[in-house]
Amino acid sequence: MSAEVLKYTREQIEEMEVAPGFAHENLEGWIPELASDEDVRQALEKAFDYRGDVSLTLKNGDVIEAYIFNRFTGNSLAESWVQYFTPKALDKRKVSYVEIARVEFTGKDRAAGKHWEDWVAKYNEKKAAGEKNIALVPDKLD
Amino acid sequence: MAVPISQMWTVATYVLKKRMSGEKRYPLVLMLEPLFRCNLACAGCGKVQYPPHILKKQLTPEECFAAAEECGVPMVAIPGGEPLLHPQIVEIVNGLVARKKYVYMCTNALELKKRLHEFTPSKYLTFSVHLDGQRDHHDFSVCREGGYDIAIEGIKAAVKAGFRVTPNSTFFDGTDPNSVRAHFDEMMAIGVEGIVLSPGYSYDKAPDQTHFMGRARVRRLFRAILSNRKKSWKFNMSPLFLEFLMGDRNYDCTPWGSPAYNIFGWQKPCYLLQDGYVDTFKELMETTKWEEYGVASGNAKCANCMVSCGYEPTAVIDGFGSMSGFWSMVKGTFSMYKDKHALKLLNESAPHGAAKLVQIAKPEHALEETNA
Repeated sequence: MSAEVLKYTREQIEEMEVAPGFAHENLEGWIPELASDEDVRQALEKAFDYRGDVSLTLKNGDVIEAYIFNRFTGNSLAESWVQYFTPKALDKRKVSYVEIARVEFTGKDRAAGKHWEDWVAKYNEKKAAGEKNIALVPDKLD
Repeated sequence: MAVPISQMWTVATYVLKKRMSGEKRYPLVLMLEPLFRCNLACAGCGKVQYPPHILKKQLTPEECFAAAEECGVPMVAIPGGEPLLHPQIVEIVNGLVARKKYVYMCTNALELKKRLHEFTPSKYLTFSVHLDGQRDHHDFSVCREGGYDIAIEGIKAAVKAGFRVTPNSTFFDGTDPNSVRAHFDEMMAIGVEGIVLSPGYSYDKAPDQTHFMGRARVRRLFRAILSNRKKSWKFNMSPLFLEFLMGDRNYDCTPWGSPAYNIFGWQKPCYLLQDGYVDTFKELMETTKWEEYGVASGNAKCANCMVSCGYEPTAVIDGFGSMSGFWSMVKGTFSMYKDKHALKLLNESAPHGAAKLVQIAKPEHALEETNA
Protein backbone atom coordinates (compact mmCIF):
# COMPACT_ATOMS: atom_id res chain seq x y z
CA MET A 1 0.00 0.00 0.00
CA SER A 2 1.51 3.36 -0.87
CA ALA A 3 1.12 6.84 0.51
CA GLU A 4 -0.67 7.72 -2.72
CA VAL A 5 -3.72 5.98 -1.27
CA LEU A 6 -5.85 8.80 0.09
CA LYS A 7 -7.90 6.91 2.68
CA TYR A 8 -7.20 3.98 4.97
CA THR A 9 -9.62 2.04 7.09
CA ARG A 10 -9.02 2.06 10.84
CA GLU A 11 -8.17 -1.64 10.65
CA GLN A 12 -5.54 -1.06 7.96
CA ILE A 13 -4.02 1.73 10.02
CA GLU A 14 -3.85 -0.29 13.22
CA GLU A 15 -2.20 -3.24 11.46
CA MET A 16 0.39 -1.19 9.61
CA GLU A 17 3.97 -2.38 10.23
CA VAL A 18 5.88 0.24 8.28
CA ALA A 19 4.46 3.59 7.33
CA PRO A 20 4.81 4.20 3.62
CA GLY A 21 7.15 7.06 2.82
CA PHE A 22 6.30 9.81 0.41
CA ALA A 23 7.70 9.83 -3.12
CA HIS A 24 9.56 13.07 -3.70
CA GLU A 25 8.47 14.81 -6.89
CA ASN A 26 11.31 16.40 -8.84
CA LEU A 27 9.90 19.82 -9.62
CA GLU A 28 13.02 21.97 -9.74
CA GLY A 29 13.16 23.73 -13.13
CA TRP A 30 9.63 22.72 -14.05
CA ILE A 31 7.46 25.17 -16.02
CA PRO A 32 3.91 23.84 -16.05
CA GLU A 33 1.58 24.55 -18.93
CA LEU A 34 -1.31 26.69 -17.71
CA ALA A 35 -3.89 26.05 -20.40
CA SER A 36 -6.91 25.65 -18.16
CA ASP A 37 -8.16 26.74 -14.75
CA GLU A 38 -7.44 23.23 -13.47
CA ASP A 39 -3.83 23.52 -14.72
CA VAL A 40 -3.45 26.73 -12.73
CA ARG A 41 -4.90 25.16 -9.61
CA GLN A 42 -2.69 22.09 -9.85
CA ALA A 43 0.49 24.06 -10.55
CA LEU A 44 -0.11 26.38 -7.59
CA GLU A 45 -0.95 23.45 -5.31
CA LYS A 46 2.45 21.98 -6.18
CA ALA A 47 4.07 25.39 -5.71
CA PHE A 48 2.53 25.54 -2.21
CA ASP A 49 4.06 22.16 -1.39
CA TYR A 50 7.45 23.01 -2.96
CA ARG A 51 10.32 23.75 -0.56
CA GLY A 52 12.02 26.27 -2.85
CA ASP A 53 11.31 29.64 -4.40
CA VAL A 54 9.16 29.94 -7.51
CA SER A 55 8.85 32.70 -10.12
CA LEU A 56 5.35 33.96 -10.78
CA THR A 57 4.82 36.03 -13.93
CA LEU A 58 1.67 38.07 -13.64
CA LYS A 59 -0.62 38.97 -16.50
CA ASN A 60 0.51 42.60 -16.18
CA GLY A 61 4.10 41.52 -16.84
CA ASP A 62 5.42 41.79 -13.28
CA VAL A 63 7.61 38.92 -12.08
CA ILE A 64 7.60 37.84 -8.42
CA GLU A 65 10.35 35.62 -7.00
CA ALA A 66 8.81 34.13 -3.87
CA TYR A 67 8.43 31.30 -1.42
CA ILE A 68 4.78 30.26 -1.43
CA PHE A 69 3.71 29.09 2.02
CA ASN A 70 -0.06 29.26 1.84
CA ARG A 71 -2.92 28.97 -0.58
CA PHE A 72 -6.68 29.30 -0.55
CA THR A 73 -8.75 27.62 -3.22
CA GLY A 74 -12.17 29.13 -3.78
CA ASN A 75 -14.84 28.33 -6.34
CA SER A 76 -13.16 30.38 -9.07
CA LEU A 77 -9.62 31.50 -9.84
CA ALA A 78 -10.62 35.02 -8.82
CA GLU A 79 -11.56 33.73 -5.37
CA SER A 80 -8.34 31.75 -4.99
CA TRP A 81 -4.95 33.08 -3.90
CA VAL A 82 -1.45 32.18 -2.86
CA GLN A 83 0.40 33.84 0.01
CA TYR A 84 4.15 34.29 -0.13
CA PHE A 85 7.34 35.81 1.22
CA THR A 86 9.88 37.37 -1.14
CA PRO A 87 13.59 37.43 -0.25
CA LYS A 88 13.54 41.24 0.18
CA ALA A 89 10.13 42.18 1.57
CA LEU A 90 9.44 41.69 5.28
CA ASP A 91 5.68 41.28 5.01
CA LYS A 92 3.47 38.44 3.80
CA ARG A 93 1.84 39.12 0.44
CA LYS A 94 -1.03 37.64 -1.56
CA VAL A 95 -1.79 37.31 -5.24
CA SER A 96 -4.94 35.98 -6.85
CA TYR A 97 -4.76 32.90 -9.08
CA VAL A 98 -6.51 34.86 -11.81
CA GLU A 99 -3.60 37.33 -12.05
CA ILE A 100 -0.97 34.62 -12.63
CA ALA A 101 0.15 33.91 -16.21
CA ARG A 102 3.20 31.69 -15.65
CA VAL A 103 4.74 29.62 -12.85
CA GLU A 104 8.39 28.51 -12.86
CA PHE A 105 9.98 26.35 -10.19
CA THR A 106 13.21 28.33 -10.35
CA GLY A 107 14.57 28.03 -6.81
CA LYS A 108 16.57 25.12 -5.45
CA ASP A 109 14.38 22.40 -3.94
CA ARG A 110 15.63 22.38 -0.34
CA ALA A 111 13.95 19.04 0.41
CA ALA A 112 15.67 17.20 -2.45
CA GLY A 113 18.92 15.27 -2.60
CA LYS A 114 19.41 14.63 1.11
CA HIS A 115 18.51 11.00 1.33
CA TRP A 116 19.29 8.88 4.34
CA GLU A 117 21.17 6.48 2.09
CA ASP A 118 23.48 9.35 1.02
CA TRP A 119 24.26 10.05 4.68
CA VAL A 120 24.97 6.39 5.38
CA ALA A 121 27.24 6.11 2.32
CA LYS A 122 29.09 9.29 3.26
CA TYR A 123 29.41 8.14 6.86
CA ASN A 124 30.82 4.75 5.88
CA GLU A 125 33.23 6.28 3.38
CA LYS A 126 34.58 8.81 5.88
CA LYS A 127 34.72 6.25 8.67
CA ALA A 128 36.74 3.91 6.47
CA ALA A 129 39.12 6.80 5.73
CA GLY A 130 39.65 7.25 9.48
CA GLU A 131 37.89 10.61 9.72
CA LYS A 132 36.55 11.86 13.06
CA ASN A 133 33.56 14.05 13.90
CA ILE A 134 31.66 13.06 10.77
CA ALA A 135 28.53 15.13 10.31
CA LEU A 136 25.96 16.53 7.94
CA VAL A 137 25.78 20.28 8.17
CA PRO A 138 22.85 22.54 7.33
CA ASP A 139 22.97 24.46 4.04
CA LYS A 140 24.63 27.86 4.20
CA LEU A 141 22.25 30.80 4.40
CA ASP A 142 24.04 32.97 1.82
CA MET B 1 5.02 11.05 36.94
CA ALA B 2 7.76 13.64 37.21
CA VAL B 3 5.63 16.68 36.47
CA PRO B 4 5.57 19.04 39.49
CA ILE B 5 2.32 19.33 41.46
CA SER B 6 1.94 23.03 40.67
CA GLN B 7 2.05 22.32 36.93
CA MET B 8 -0.37 19.41 37.25
CA TRP B 9 -2.73 21.60 39.27
CA THR B 10 -2.56 24.37 36.66
CA VAL B 11 -3.32 21.96 33.82
CA ALA B 12 -6.03 20.11 35.77
CA THR B 13 -7.89 23.31 36.69
CA TYR B 14 -7.53 24.57 33.12
CA VAL B 15 -9.08 21.36 31.73
CA LEU B 16 -11.89 21.41 34.31
CA LYS B 17 -12.73 25.05 33.58
CA LYS B 18 -12.89 24.31 29.87
CA ARG B 19 -15.12 21.32 30.45
CA MET B 20 -17.41 23.24 32.79
CA SER B 21 -17.73 26.05 30.26
CA GLY B 22 -18.79 23.49 27.66
CA GLU B 23 -15.90 24.10 25.25
CA LYS B 24 -15.48 21.06 23.04
CA ARG B 25 -12.19 22.01 21.49
CA TYR B 26 -9.44 23.79 23.36
CA PRO B 27 -5.62 23.81 23.23
CA LEU B 28 -3.26 22.64 25.95
CA VAL B 29 0.21 23.39 24.62
CA LEU B 30 1.23 26.07 22.14
CA MET B 31 3.92 24.82 19.76
CA LEU B 32 5.73 28.09 19.22
CA GLU B 33 8.31 27.94 16.43
CA PRO B 34 10.18 31.25 16.55
CA LEU B 35 12.42 30.26 13.63
CA PHE B 36 13.17 27.32 11.34
CA ARG B 37 16.96 27.76 11.28
CA CYS B 38 18.89 24.87 12.83
CA ASN B 39 22.51 23.89 13.46
CA LEU B 40 21.79 20.21 12.78
CA ALA B 41 20.58 18.44 9.63
CA CYS B 42 18.78 15.42 11.11
CA ALA B 43 17.58 12.74 8.70
CA GLY B 44 14.17 12.34 10.34
CA CYS B 45 13.31 16.03 10.46
CA GLY B 46 11.04 17.72 7.94
CA LYS B 47 11.01 21.12 9.63
CA VAL B 48 14.07 22.90 8.28
CA GLN B 49 14.10 22.45 4.50
CA TYR B 50 13.48 26.03 3.39
CA PRO B 51 15.22 28.65 1.22
CA PRO B 52 17.75 30.84 3.08
CA HIS B 53 15.50 33.93 3.18
CA ILE B 54 12.87 31.89 5.05
CA LEU B 55 15.46 30.42 7.43
CA LYS B 56 16.60 33.97 8.25
CA LYS B 57 13.12 35.03 9.31
CA GLN B 58 12.07 34.84 12.93
CA LEU B 59 9.19 35.80 15.17
CA THR B 60 9.62 38.85 17.38
CA PRO B 61 9.15 38.47 21.15
CA GLU B 62 5.92 40.48 20.86
CA GLU B 63 4.54 38.08 18.25
CA CYS B 64 5.40 35.15 20.53
CA PHE B 65 3.65 36.73 23.54
CA ALA B 66 0.60 37.63 21.45
CA ALA B 67 0.29 34.03 20.19
CA ALA B 68 0.51 32.62 23.72
CA GLU B 69 -2.12 35.04 25.01
CA GLU B 70 -4.36 34.61 21.99
CA CYS B 71 -4.75 30.87 22.46
CA GLY B 72 -4.66 31.05 26.26
CA VAL B 73 -2.75 27.83 26.91
CA PRO B 74 -1.11 26.98 30.24
CA MET B 75 1.97 25.48 28.53
CA VAL B 76 4.22 26.61 25.68
CA ALA B 77 6.73 24.40 23.88
CA ILE B 78 9.38 26.21 21.87
CA PRO B 79 10.68 23.94 19.12
CA GLY B 80 11.97 25.07 15.74
CA GLY B 81 14.60 25.04 14.21
CA GLU B 82 16.98 25.48 17.08
CA PRO B 83 15.53 28.13 19.40
CA LEU B 84 18.94 29.01 20.88
CA LEU B 85 19.89 30.45 17.45
CA HIS B 86 17.19 33.13 17.90
CA PRO B 87 18.96 36.30 19.06
CA GLN B 88 16.05 37.24 21.39
CA ILE B 89 15.29 33.79 22.76
CA VAL B 90 16.09 34.83 26.34
CA GLU B 91 13.62 37.71 26.10
CA ILE B 92 11.01 35.35 24.63
CA VAL B 93 11.46 32.77 27.39
CA ASN B 94 11.50 35.39 30.16
CA GLY B 95 8.37 37.02 28.78
CA LEU B 96 6.49 33.73 28.69
CA VAL B 97 7.66 32.82 32.20
CA ALA B 98 6.51 36.25 33.42
CA ARG B 99 3.08 35.36 32.00
CA LYS B 100 3.19 32.17 34.12
CA LYS B 101 3.29 29.85 31.14
CA TYR B 102 5.03 26.52 31.70
CA VAL B 103 7.71 26.75 29.02
CA TYR B 104 9.43 23.74 27.44
CA MET B 105 12.47 25.14 25.61
CA CYS B 106 13.38 22.46 23.08
CA THR B 107 17.03 22.40 22.13
CA ASN B 108 19.64 20.08 20.68
CA ALA B 109 21.87 21.51 23.41
CA LEU B 110 24.82 22.19 21.10
CA GLU B 111 24.81 25.77 22.46
CA LEU B 112 23.18 25.12 25.82
CA LYS B 113 26.21 25.01 28.10
CA LYS B 114 27.60 28.33 26.93
CA ARG B 115 24.20 30.07 26.89
CA LEU B 116 22.94 28.71 30.20
CA HIS B 117 24.02 31.71 32.27
CA GLU B 118 21.60 33.91 30.31
CA PHE B 119 18.59 32.01 31.68
CA THR B 120 17.14 31.95 35.20
CA PRO B 121 15.97 28.71 36.83
CA SER B 122 12.21 28.67 37.41
CA LYS B 123 9.46 26.14 37.97
CA TYR B 124 8.01 27.54 34.75
CA LEU B 125 11.08 26.79 32.62
CA THR B 126 12.21 23.36 31.40
CA PHE B 127 14.99 22.62 28.94
CA SER B 128 13.68 19.81 26.75
CA VAL B 129 16.85 18.39 25.22
CA HIS B 130 16.70 16.44 21.97
CA LEU B 131 18.46 13.15 22.70
CA ASP B 132 17.52 10.13 20.58
CA GLY B 133 19.01 7.43 22.80
CA GLN B 134 22.54 6.34 23.68
CA ARG B 135 25.64 7.95 22.18
CA ASP B 136 25.91 6.07 18.87
CA HIS B 137 22.18 6.02 18.33
CA HIS B 138 21.80 9.73 18.93
CA ASP B 139 24.80 10.73 16.84
CA PHE B 140 23.61 8.65 13.93
CA SER B 141 20.07 9.93 14.25
CA VAL B 142 21.11 13.59 14.20
CA CYS B 143 23.81 12.92 11.59
CA ARG B 144 26.58 14.35 13.73
CA GLU B 145 29.29 12.50 15.60
CA GLY B 146 30.03 14.07 18.94
CA GLY B 147 26.54 15.59 19.23
CA TYR B 148 25.63 13.33 22.13
CA ASP B 149 28.63 14.31 24.26
CA ILE B 150 27.93 18.01 23.77
CA ALA B 151 24.26 17.53 24.65
CA ILE B 152 25.13 15.56 27.78
CA GLU B 153 27.50 18.32 28.90
CA GLY B 154 24.67 20.80 28.44
CA ILE B 155 22.21 18.62 30.37
CA LYS B 156 24.62 18.14 33.26
CA ALA B 157 25.36 21.86 33.44
CA ALA B 158 21.65 22.70 33.39
CA VAL B 159 20.81 20.15 36.10
CA LYS B 160 23.68 21.44 38.24
CA ALA B 161 22.47 25.02 37.83
CA GLY B 162 19.02 24.03 39.12
CA PHE B 163 17.05 24.02 35.89
CA ARG B 164 14.29 21.57 35.10
CA VAL B 165 15.61 19.28 32.35
CA THR B 166 13.82 16.60 30.33
CA PRO B 167 15.60 14.62 27.60
CA ASN B 168 13.28 14.33 24.63
CA SER B 169 13.67 11.24 22.43
CA THR B 170 12.14 10.35 19.08
CA PHE B 171 12.37 6.72 18.01
CA PHE B 172 12.31 5.37 14.48
CA ASP B 173 12.25 1.88 12.97
CA GLY B 174 15.21 -0.28 13.98
CA THR B 175 15.40 1.11 17.51
CA ASP B 176 16.80 -1.38 20.02
CA PRO B 177 14.48 -1.42 23.08
CA ASN B 178 17.26 -2.64 25.37
CA SER B 179 19.40 0.30 24.38
CA VAL B 180 16.50 2.68 25.03
CA ARG B 181 16.07 1.23 28.53
CA ALA B 182 19.80 1.68 29.15
CA HIS B 183 19.40 5.27 27.93
CA PHE B 184 16.67 5.80 30.54
CA ASP B 185 19.05 4.53 33.25
CA GLU B 186 21.76 6.92 32.09
CA MET B 187 19.40 9.89 32.02
CA MET B 188 17.97 9.25 35.48
CA ALA B 189 21.51 8.84 36.86
CA ILE B 190 22.34 12.32 35.58
CA GLY B 191 19.42 13.68 37.57
CA VAL B 192 16.96 14.83 34.93
CA GLU B 193 13.41 15.55 36.05
CA GLY B 194 11.81 13.02 33.71
CA ILE B 195 11.96 11.54 30.25
CA VAL B 196 9.90 12.61 27.23
CA LEU B 197 9.52 10.27 24.26
CA SER B 198 7.58 9.80 21.07
CA PRO B 199 7.60 7.69 17.93
CA GLY B 200 8.78 9.61 14.86
CA TYR B 201 6.38 11.18 12.39
CA SER B 202 6.68 10.47 8.66
CA TYR B 203 7.34 14.03 7.50
CA ASP B 204 6.98 14.05 3.74
CA LYS B 205 9.95 16.43 3.52
CA ALA B 206 12.27 14.36 5.73
CA PRO B 207 15.35 12.96 3.95
CA ASP B 208 14.74 9.48 5.40
CA GLN B 209 11.47 8.05 4.07
CA THR B 210 12.10 4.41 4.97
CA HIS B 211 12.31 4.23 8.75
CA PHE B 212 8.92 5.39 9.97
CA MET B 213 7.15 2.73 12.01
CA GLY B 214 3.56 1.76 11.40
CA ARG B 215 1.21 1.60 14.39
CA ALA B 216 1.55 -2.14 15.00
CA ARG B 217 5.32 -1.86 15.20
CA VAL B 218 5.14 1.24 17.40
CA ARG B 219 2.99 -0.60 19.94
CA ARG B 220 5.35 -3.58 20.05
CA LEU B 221 8.42 -1.41 20.44
CA PHE B 222 6.95 0.71 23.23
CA ARG B 223 5.47 -2.32 24.98
CA ALA B 224 8.96 -3.81 25.09
CA ILE B 225 10.49 -0.52 26.27
CA LEU B 226 7.89 0.60 28.79
CA SER B 227 6.76 -2.65 30.43
CA ASN B 228 8.64 -3.93 33.50
CA ARG B 229 9.78 -0.44 34.38
CA LYS B 230 12.47 0.38 36.86
CA LYS B 231 11.50 2.38 39.94
CA SER B 232 14.12 4.97 39.11
CA TRP B 233 12.51 5.91 35.79
CA LYS B 234 10.37 9.02 35.70
CA PHE B 235 8.44 10.31 32.72
CA ASN B 236 7.44 13.90 32.12
CA MET B 237 4.37 12.74 30.24
CA SER B 238 0.86 11.55 30.90
CA PRO B 239 0.92 7.87 31.99
CA LEU B 240 -2.15 7.38 29.82
CA PHE B 241 -0.24 8.51 26.73
CA LEU B 242 2.45 5.94 27.53
CA GLU B 243 -0.29 3.29 27.86
CA PHE B 244 -1.55 4.38 24.44
CA LEU B 245 1.93 3.84 22.96
CA MET B 246 2.05 0.38 24.61
CA GLY B 247 -1.27 -0.55 23.03
CA ASP B 248 -3.33 -0.52 26.24
CA ARG B 249 -5.54 2.37 25.11
CA ASN B 250 -7.17 3.45 21.88
CA TYR B 251 -7.18 7.19 21.43
CA ASP B 252 -8.10 9.52 18.64
CA CYS B 253 -5.93 12.49 17.77
CA THR B 254 -6.59 15.92 19.28
CA PRO B 255 -4.87 18.06 16.64
CA TRP B 256 -6.10 21.33 18.17
CA GLY B 257 -4.54 20.30 21.49
CA SER B 258 -1.08 21.48 20.39
CA PRO B 259 -1.62 24.31 17.90
CA ALA B 260 1.47 25.55 16.06
CA TYR B 261 2.38 29.17 15.42
CA ASN B 262 5.36 30.27 13.33
CA ILE B 263 6.52 32.90 10.83
CA PHE B 264 3.78 31.82 8.40
CA GLY B 265 0.95 32.14 10.95
CA TRP B 266 -1.26 29.55 12.69
CA GLN B 267 -0.63 26.22 11.00
CA LYS B 268 -3.53 24.08 9.77
CA PRO B 269 -4.28 21.49 11.05
CA CYS B 270 -1.47 20.66 13.48
CA TYR B 271 2.19 20.92 14.36
CA LEU B 272 3.19 18.15 11.93
CA LEU B 273 1.03 18.71 8.86
CA GLN B 274 1.14 21.88 6.77
CA ASP B 275 -2.17 22.30 5.02
CA GLY B 276 -2.20 26.06 5.08
CA TYR B 277 -2.06 28.99 7.49
CA VAL B 278 -4.41 31.51 9.03
CA ASP B 279 -3.76 34.78 10.81
CA THR B 280 -5.67 34.19 14.05
CA PHE B 281 -6.16 31.34 16.50
CA LYS B 282 -9.92 31.84 16.28
CA GLU B 283 -9.77 31.34 12.52
CA LEU B 284 -7.69 28.19 13.03
CA MET B 285 -10.27 26.70 15.36
CA GLU B 286 -13.28 27.76 13.30
CA THR B 287 -12.13 27.15 9.71
CA THR B 288 -10.03 23.98 9.94
CA LYS B 289 -11.91 20.92 8.67
CA TRP B 290 -10.93 18.81 11.67
CA GLU B 291 -12.91 15.81 10.43
CA GLU B 292 -10.42 15.43 7.57
CA TYR B 293 -7.52 14.69 9.93
CA GLY B 294 -6.55 12.15 12.55
CA VAL B 295 -6.59 8.39 12.49
CA ALA B 296 -10.39 8.21 12.39
CA SER B 297 -10.43 10.17 9.13
CA GLY B 298 -8.40 7.58 7.21
CA ASN B 299 -6.16 10.41 5.94
CA ALA B 300 -2.95 8.75 4.68
CA LYS B 301 -0.86 11.56 6.16
CA CYS B 302 -2.20 10.71 9.62
CA ALA B 303 -1.99 6.94 9.19
CA ASN B 304 1.15 6.17 11.18
CA CYS B 305 0.99 9.11 13.56
CA MET B 306 1.05 8.30 17.27
CA VAL B 307 3.06 11.40 18.08
CA SER B 308 2.77 13.14 21.43
CA CYS B 309 1.61 16.49 20.02
CA GLY B 310 -1.61 14.89 18.78
CA TYR B 311 -2.24 12.13 21.29
CA GLU B 312 -0.89 13.42 24.57
CA PRO B 313 -3.57 16.15 24.70
CA THR B 314 -6.14 13.35 24.31
CA ALA B 315 -4.53 11.49 27.21
CA VAL B 316 -4.31 14.60 29.40
CA ILE B 317 -7.94 15.52 28.78
CA ASP B 318 -8.92 11.92 29.49
CA GLY B 319 -6.87 11.92 32.71
CA PHE B 320 -8.14 15.20 34.11
CA GLY B 321 -11.60 15.03 32.59
CA SER B 322 -13.18 12.34 34.78
CA MET B 323 -12.68 10.52 38.07
CA SER B 324 -12.03 7.23 36.28
CA GLY B 325 -9.47 8.90 34.03
CA PHE B 326 -7.80 10.52 37.04
CA TRP B 327 -7.69 7.20 38.90
CA SER B 328 -6.13 5.51 35.84
CA MET B 329 -3.52 8.23 35.80
CA VAL B 330 -2.71 7.72 39.48
CA LYS B 331 -2.46 3.95 38.99
CA GLY B 332 -0.27 4.44 35.92
CA THR B 333 2.06 6.76 37.80
CA PHE B 334 2.92 4.07 40.33
CA SER B 335 2.66 0.92 38.19
CA MET B 336 5.76 -0.92 36.99
CA TYR B 337 3.64 -2.53 34.23
CA LYS B 338 4.88 -6.05 34.99
CA ASP B 339 4.46 -8.10 31.85
CA LYS B 340 6.19 -11.47 31.37
CA HIS B 341 5.39 -11.56 27.69
CA ALA B 342 6.91 -8.14 27.12
CA LEU B 343 9.98 -9.22 29.09
CA LYS B 344 10.33 -12.24 26.84
CA LEU B 345 10.03 -10.02 23.80
CA LEU B 346 12.65 -7.71 25.23
CA ASN B 347 15.05 -10.56 25.85
CA GLU B 348 14.45 -11.93 22.37
CA SER B 349 15.07 -8.63 20.63
CA ALA B 350 18.55 -9.08 19.23
CA PRO B 351 21.11 -6.43 19.97
CA HIS B 352 22.24 -4.81 16.75
CA GLY B 353 25.61 -6.03 15.59
CA ALA B 354 26.66 -2.82 13.94
CA ALA B 355 25.92 -0.55 16.85
CA LYS B 356 27.12 2.56 15.08
CA LEU B 357 24.60 1.97 12.31
CA VAL B 358 21.80 1.00 14.63
CA GLN B 359 19.32 3.41 13.11
CA ILE B 360 19.54 1.76 9.71
CA ALA B 361 19.88 -1.85 10.76
CA LYS B 362 16.76 -3.96 10.57
CA PRO B 363 15.91 -5.90 13.76
CA GLU B 364 16.94 -9.52 13.38
CA HIS B 365 13.88 -10.67 15.30
CA ALA B 366 10.69 -8.72 14.93
CA LEU B 367 9.00 -8.25 18.26
CA GLU B 368 5.65 -9.96 18.44
CA GLU B 369 2.40 -8.08 18.60
CA THR B 370 1.05 -8.15 22.12
CA ASN B 371 -2.37 -7.07 23.20
CA ALA B 372 -2.70 -3.97 21.06
